Amino acid sequence: MFLSVSVLALVLIAVVPRNWVTHTSSTLQSLAALSLLWSGVQSLFGQPWALHLWRLSGWGQVVIGEGHLSAYFLIVTGLVLLPVALYSPCYLQRLERSYNMRIFAAIFHGLTMAIVLTYLARDVITFLIMWEIMSIASYLAVNFEHLHDSHTRAGYIMLGASEAGFLVALGAWLPLVVVSHSINFAIISGTASQHMSAIVGWTIMLCSFFGFGVKAGLFPSMSWLPRAHPAAPANFSAMLSAIILNLGIYGIVLINGALHPITRPAEGLLVVVIGSLTAIIGILYASTENHLKRMLAHSSIENMGLITIALGSMFAFRAAHMPNAAFIAGIAAFYQILNHSVYKTLLFLGAGAIDVGSGELEMDRLGGLAKKMPWTSGVMLVGAMSISALPPFNGFVSEWLIIQALLRSVEISNSFEQVIFALSGVIVALTAGLAVTAFLKLFGMVFLGRGRSDAADNAREIGVGPKWAMGLLAATCLILGVTPTYVVSALQPLVSSLGGNGDLSGLVPSFFNLQHLSASLAESFQPLGAETGRSFLPSPGLVFLHQSNTPSAHVVFASSPSYLAAFIAITLGIVYLVMRFVKRRRVRTYNRPWQGGVHDVPANANYTATGFSNPIVLVFRAVLRPEQPIEREEMSASNFHKAIRRETRESYVVDRLIFYPSNTAIEAIASLLAKLHHGKINMYMVYAFVTLMVVMILSLWVV
Amino acid sequence: MLWSRKGMKTSLTLKDESPNQGISPGRPRATKVHSASLLKLCPTGALVEKDNWIRVDEARCIRCQLCRQHTPPMEWDEDFHWAKLNTHRFPHAFRHSLHIRVIDAGNCGACLNEIHQLSSPVYSFHRFGISITPTPREADVLMVVGPVTIAMKTALEEAYEAMPTPKRVLAVGACALSGGLFASSFSVVGPVSNVIPVDVEISGCPPPPLAILDGLRQVMGVRLASDRER
Amino acid sequence: MTDKMENWLKLITQQRVRGEGTSGHWLRVPASSEELRNIVQILCGDIHWAFAGIVPERDDAGDGFHLLYVFYSDNGVLVGIEVHNHEQSIPTISDILFAADWQEREMEDLFNLSFKGHPQLGNFVLHDEQWPEGLAPMARDIIHILGNEKAAAETVTPQIVKASGSFVMTVGPIFSGSEESIQFFLETVGEEIIFAHIRPFYKYRAIEKLLEGKSFTVALLLAERINGHAAFAHAWALAQALERLSDLPISARAQRLRVFWAEFERIRLHVRTLARILESTGLSVPANLMHALEEDLLQLGAIYGGHRYLFGLLRLGGLSRDWSASDLEGICARVDETVSKCEMLIKNLTFDNSFLDRLESVGMLTKQLALDHGLVGPVARASGLQRDLRKWQTYGAYRHLKFDVPTQNEGDGYARFRQLFDEILQSAGLMKQIPQDFSNVDAVSRSATFRSGMAFGAVEGPNGAIFYNVGIRPDGTVKSCRIITPGLVNWHAFPDAIRHFTFQDFPIILATFGLSVADLDR
Repeated sequence: MFLSVSVLALVLIAVVPRNWVTHTSSTLQSLAALSLLWSGVQSLFGQPWALHLWRLSGWGQVVIGEGHLSAYFLIVTGLVLLPVALYSPCYLQRLERSYNMRIFAAIFHGLTMAIVLTYLARDVITFLIMWEIMSIASYLAVNFEHLHDSHTRAGYIMLGASEAGFLVALGAWLPLVVVSHSINFAIISGTASQHMSAIVGWTIMLCSFFGFGVKAGLFPSMSWLPRAHPAAPANFSAMLSAIILNLGIYGIVLINGALHPITRPAEGLLVVVIGSLTAIIGILYASTENHLKRMLAHSSIENMGLITIALGSMFAFRAAHMPNAAFIAGIAAFYQILNHSVYKTLLFLGAGAIDVGSGELEMDRLGGLAKKMPWTSGVMLVGAMSISALPPFNGFVSEWLIIQALLRSVEISNSFEQVIFALSGVIVALTAGLAVTAFLKLFGMVFLGRGRSDAADNAREIGVGPKWAMGLLAATCLILGVTPTYVVSALQPLVSSLGGNGDLSGLVPSFFNLQHLSASLAESFQPLGAETGRSFLPSPGLVFLHQSNTPSAHVVFASSPSYLAAFIAITLGIVYLVMRFVKRRRVRTYNRPWQGGVHDVPANANYTATGFSNPIVLVFRAVLRPEQPIEREEMSASNFHKAIRRETRESYVVDRLIFYPSNTAIEAIASLLAKLHHGKINMYMVYAFVTLMVVMILSLWVV
Repeated sequence: MLWSRKGMKTSLTLKDESPNQGISPGRPRATKVHSASLLKLCPTGALVEKDNWIRVDEARCIRCQLCRQHTPPMEWDEDFHWAKLNTHRFPHAFRHSLHIRVIDAGNCGACLNEIHQLSSPVYSFHRFGISITPTPREADVLMVVGPVTIAMKTALEEAYEAMPTPKRVLAVGACALSGGLFASSFSVVGPVSNVIPVDVEISGCPPPPLAILDGLRQVMGVRLASDRER
Repeated sequence: MTDKMENWLKLITQQRVRGEGTSGHWLRVPASSEELRNIVQILCGDIHWAFAGIVPERDDAGDGFHLLYVFYSDNGVLVGIEVHNHEQSIPTISDILFAADWQEREMEDLFNLSFKGHPQLGNFVLHDEQWPEGLAPMARDIIHILGNEKAAAETVTPQIVKASGSFVMTVGPIFSGSEESIQFFLETVGEEIIFAHIRPFYKYRAIEKLLEGKSFTVALLLAERINGHAAFAHAWALAQALERLSDLPISARAQRLRVFWAEFERIRLHVRTLARILESTGLSVPANLMHALEEDLLQLGAIYGGHRYLFGLLRLGGLSRDWSASDLEGICARVDETVSKCEMLIKNLTFDNSFLDRLESVGMLTKQLALDHGLVGPVARASGLQRDLRKWQTYGAYRHLKFDVPTQNEGDGYARFRQLFDEILQSAGLMKQIPQDFSNVDAVSRSATFRSGMAFGAVEGPNGAIFYNVGIRPDGTVKSCRIITPGLVNWHAFPDAIRHFTFQDFPIILATFGLSVADLDR
């Protein structure tokens, strides 16, 4: 159904008059998104379906279908596409003058179709072809505002990285296809795990992880992310961050979780380590970056790192035969993917609204937008609180679950693995702290205080469509944060199929049996409310409760975000009522801020975002390595300064440590090889002769 | 070493009525002696003849002691209950805790130093619950020293406006009360009362810390020696 | 260089004047405005004389002013280079001698004299928010103009740092708990102060104008109240100038008593500065103990001197009171007690790392910077400049007394801290020498006759060199007065001292300078 709607949309775009293009496209897009949601929900809870298309001789069946994994990702996609569709018409108005909207809509629909088909592919050929189409379409979308040179450069880097990742991932697909003699996923998952040497197993895992990791923005190939996001228009940035990054994760989970499950814990640990590195680098740059979209891009890198940590834990626990722990880790990973898509979309759409309303995206030039754009500031506050993992929003639940999964590593016997898990736990804690700082800076510098430029002083609120879109997302954040146990039970079939095989009641005890706990412990929990709502709420309950199996101490981990949300709501309500009552007798006066005795200070006397993050830059300067500022003093007369100019140039740590050195190395090799190209015909003939000799000898020897 | 370990004995209290040498240079007392030269002597015109007495305008006296060294000399009192209250109702909230914002509107440094000495262990106003805050938003009392210069006039008004009610203003020193010797300068607006309403006036040049503390305690509602007829 | 100039340069470098001359201890050298820059270059660049300030004098002939650029050195001579301001043609010397910067701006604002080539004239003493341009109040006879009280507007913040994300932090005029009112603009990108501007003269009382027409007694009272902490020193400087224009004999006893009380005031103000430094570094116990010591000295001053801050103590020709030698010895004993307690505190602090960390290498003023800014007082001596008017000009009884002028080399906050205590010890030693050799002559002043003219008074106050240039009328009133205070000179170096330090260091560096804003603003 989705496909038919999309094709209809494409046709209509070509036909409909210019003014209606964006609206038509968006309406149809919303319909398409809804259909996606519907089908995803059906497949996740119901039966997976498959559609055999045609047969390729020698290879196998070309199949399209939905399994649990695809269904889940389709739900996430639909959840993101719907608000983006509602948002687009109003946002794209600013581009209408210079660019052709039909082309934009065409690219958009083409891209979404490619994404959906990638998820629906049940055989390797379809997957690869749709993947390529998706890459190219996303390049076209990133470079849509092609009049800016930097956008083209950014899009090109993204395309290049994408292709490189594709080639590396091929190194994973090929062995799988060869070993199972088929391109069909069903057949591959059946036969692939049987007889494969360790080397081949490691190759598949490494190639798939690093290959798909490029698309997901993992270490070491994440430089394209911070360049591509600011270049794309905001609605597409949201899609890029919330849907296309998920494709990378989908690829990793597909190969390492479904088709060729990981059996060695070391592979899982590698995933955890890479995830930790990604997370910490991402958040460091996010907290010191002042361009709104680039900062959100770095934050996406951080979230992908967190998701990877959870996935790695799932793989490692599963390989170590700890199904309960793997279950929790898997739930954590998928919850985080869902949450990230929702709140990142919200933040990017908000950034787009700020761009439309004020024309500025640099935090150093914004400020005081809370009064001018109240709706946007409200939803951005929800987004910022969610991504900083503050209750009662959804980020809190998934970060809590990730940390819980890491804590269960005490059950592992191998102490080296325990150390790795402990270190990654420390890194998760550090990133959580820095994330709060980063989003505090975002919200405080952009919305609070006073405007730092004319653009900020004259900002306007955005139109109705985007308001609905952002409101929908904010509401989703709240719902996902307040009813986590139901989401978890919805995710259960997916995670179980990936090998968690854990019992849901190991995580969320149902009202009726607390079977994993001893009786006395169960009784003591009763008054805590594990049984509350038994009569009117559907199972499983509102409390997270799990226990590790270490023999030494009975440690029980418990949390209930639902109760927390209820408590917060009740307390705030009481305080509000009390204040209403008390304040009736007080006199309220409004006054200017106290500035030390002067009447008012100009815009350049306000604290800037650079000033806010300056301490972090100083503390982490070994990593961030801002180049030593070159100070040029200009004097109007001897002793009298006219200006002092400081330029700091920062280089991305990954570029600096990995890409620039390898660039230099490759260039060195190339220049060495260039010596062979000297143009003397005689030597070339000698080369040909030598090659011929070598080939003959080799063929004689092999045969 | 013992001295710094044992601490200072804060022995001066406001109930102590006996003249404390070195605490206060004192203030001139109204006298019945007639002397035209005495009236012309005062550089700020603080000596005024009224009903056969030569009375002292507290707000103008800058304690230059010329009248004390005159022949015949004027008598001087050595007490410290110098605060003159323009308001008599002080909020109940001030009784146990008072936050002061000190504003230097142009003073020479002596009055400001006397206020600063209040926080030293010799006088220690902290034991009464008084403290100095850097922001007028949390201040109960605004203490202004110095003649108000034109440049500080705006700042003084801003500070007064930034204070939440209930608030009171103390003007400390002859310059704050009448402009002192600087009243005729073209760059001086005049006494504090030209800019904001003043509730308590503490005369002197500078008033010793005990006199300032006396004024503060009266703001806090402690009734001490009543103003004698001058 | 012309022959004329060579001759008098030889004269001033060789002349040693050690007398108490009522006149003739200073030279006036007329020069044209073209020669001015060369002369200044030679005086300050080549032979390192110190710059006192610019003194304006009304031209008796015409309407204009001529300016006296006053220099001095350790041979006791004051040199004034007289330049006539024909058609506003005086070039600036601030690019050669940074110390002249604020003096020239003051002249521009108050007298409407412009200096060619000065990049920053205007909006200095008379703030643009309150005063219209071109007012020149000191150049007029009668002022009935009140400030133009315009509607309060946005402060203009200067910004010269061009870096991404840089902003200007405004501090003041009202800031901190009990600091004087002055405004700073600190340019930064977050932690480090890249550049600083000061905006003084919020406390401008126009004392130089007030003094015109006042009797000498009232003038002394006014001078005391310029900076209440250095009241005695200011009054002495003014009295010196007035006494030079009269035939008042000043007894040896009076001279020695004046030294006694001036040193007493120095000790008291240095103890206060030490207490403020300790407060700023957060050590409240020694800070409070030091404040208690200051209170000791204040009470001592009240008992024996009649006023806590010694107001009204100095009179023309002597002092207003007298003391016996045993009185003086009693005061010395009490001061010694206080000084030894102070010494004990400081000795304990030498081993306190948290204290030393906040002061060492903080607020650096190199010797070259100190020379460029023409610094005076303990701040200059802590940076290695051996400048002290008590040795250079030898006024009063100082030539008969034995004392050293300590200096430090580092020029950081800790050096200024140590310098203060070293000077306290020297002053205590000076005070002890006074009661030993006392004559029995009456110290109270008598009336005297004055002749009209101009004279200089120069006194080393607790914060540095104080210069008064007073012109009087024959009827016994002041005609004009130019006051050059250590505040006017030393505050100029403050922005250079805080560059490249962080905001947390700012109040500490402020405290180590120990300067008075009332001194600067007058």
